[in-house]
Amino acid sequence: MRRAFPALLGLALVLLALYPLVASGYGVRFMLQLFMWVALAQSWNLISGLTGYVSFGHVAFFGTGTYVAAILITKAAWHWGPASVAGGVGAAILALIIGWPCLRLKGPYFAIAMLGLSEVMRVLVSYFEGLTGGGSGISLPTLYASTQIYYAMFLAACAVTGAAYFIITSRFGLRLMTIREDEVAAEAMGIDTARYKLYAFLLSAFAPGVVGGLFARDQGYIEPVAVFPLLITITMIVMTLFGGKGTIWGPVLGAASLFVVEELVWARFLYLHQLLFGAIIVLVVLAMPRGVLGVLQQRYRLPRTI
Amino acid sequence: MNVVVTPTMLGQVIISGLLAGALYAVVALGLGLIFGVMRVINVAHGTILMLGAYVTFWWFQLLGINPYLSLLASMPLMFLLGALLQRGLVRRVVGAPELSSLLLTFGISIALVNVAQWQFTSDLRSVEYLTGSFIVGPFAFSKSRTIACAFAVAIAALAAWFLRRTKLGKAIRATSQNSEVALVCGVDVPRVHLYTFGLASALAAAGGSLVAVMVAIQPEMGGVYTFKSFLVIVLGGAGNFAGALLGGLLLGLVEQLSSLFLTTQVSEAVAYVLLVLVLLLRPTGLLGGRAS
Repeated sequence: MRRAFPALLGLALVLLALYPLVASGYGVRFMLQLFMWVALAQSWNLISGLTGYVSFGHVAFFGTGTYVAAILITKAAWHWGPASVAGGVGAAILALIIGWPCLRLKGPYFAIAMLGLSEVMRVLVSYFEGLTGGGSGISLPTLYASTQIYYAMFLAACAVTGAAYFIITSRFGLRLMTIREDEVAAEAMGIDTARYKLYAFLLSAFAPGVVGGLFARDQGYIEPVAVFPLLITITMIVMTLFGGKGTIWGPVLGAASLFVVEELVWARFLYLHQLLFGAIIVLVVLAMPRGVLGVLQQRYRLPRTI
Repeated sequence: MNVVVTPTMLGQVIISGLLAGALYAVVALGLGLIFGVMRVINVAHGTILMLGAYVTFWWFQLLGINPYLSLLASMPLMFLLGALLQRGLVRRVVGAPELSSLLLTFGISIALVNVAQWQFTSDLRSVEYLTGSFIVGPFAFSKSRTIACAFAVAIAALAAWFLRRTKLGKAIRATSQNSEVALVCGVDVPRVHLYTFGLASALAAAGGSLVAVMVAIQPEMGGVYTFKSFLVIVLGGAGNFAGALLGGLLLGLVEQLSSLFLTTQVSEAVAYVLLVLVLLLRPTGLLGGRAS
């Protein structure tokens, strides 16, 4: 299995890269959103899965990315590619401003501060109407680029997962996990915890900004309530938790499986899908807080860096 | 915006702030109790408030009796619901990392909101009962808000008396201070948890019944109150009775004062900046208290 894994992974990537050639429009859109969720879940994993600091407002970075990109596309006529990267940069700047003070907060207080951040971003975006269109949102010029956005999202998902691989297998990752297990001990061992937490936070904010920008381009219309909901944060968290937080492949597995389930449920139970999603959350939290990979790791002596 | 602020306007704003603040305090008191006793961050608190508001709506709609009397129905009902949720679900995440309780209560929250949408539809409902204001000198006291404030103060006083004077109240406070020592001293901690969650939900329901007369009722109205309750307990310190009252009044004042100069939306941002500052400078709340 261990020897076959790189070959299987390569095959999967090639198949996914060729997929738009044969797929229907719906298929492309479906996979594109799946990649988006992989990137989002994986980003949350970088800060919260590794350091244990629960970012309960990660959607703030996603939403910031959508707005930065949408404004650059509509007001400055940027191409959506660079605009999305700028969205990532915008999100990282926000993370710098917020992370520097807030990463000192411990446990539940950090989570509440982050929840507050996402609420406030929504409010601020609604307030600065001149730039953001306020509550009526921004409509982007029509563009048919699903296939290109598919590849961009694909790249983003691969890049964040690659980053997770390099971080988790590196000394940097070990330092972050030491902070998660015992921050005081980490500090006593000479780890500059404030600095490494901030690095992890910046990294985890960049990708949501980028995919936010791509999302804005793909949707063609954004408004504050749709791009800053707590539900997006929760979905990232539950996906990561279901797959196994703090692992490389957990968020990928969690995002892919829950997204497929959600699509099926959404189609069948339009009115009660929130009730079902609530039930899924409760089940994941109570029955498998370590996630699928966490359980497998425990049972089958799998490597730590899975 | 160039607004000339006259002393009368300022006085009016302070009155509105204090009236709103007492209500925030009662709701936040519940959230603070749960956090203090169980270390659980209850994201579903505002959802319980929403259900309390619906109890009042249906009470008034179907029975046509004074909506304030519906407190007699909403508080016991939500006490039961809270106790049930605690017994069935929340009990399992007490002592787990904060992520578990955040997610679990969020799951409960969206499920309940969805049930409310399904059963009550998403139409905006209102309880047309008290309109207009009491006029005292140059100031206007909105009737519904003034009565809500009076009820809020009375309920808070009752809760304070309960926590200070009764045996169960003392057990709740002891568990909040140190649950292990409380256990050793013979406090039935699981039972305390059950009653705390019930009591906290009853307080949220009281808030819901009182706002039902003032604002539009709809299934998603709770989120704002959850967020505001977080602000209040951070400002005042969790599990600290006087703190919750102070935090509530302060939040009401800050919101109203900043809405004098800015729009109501930005006043929420002002409250957030305040939240982060307090978290950084006085993480145990403005009145101090126990560090976590």
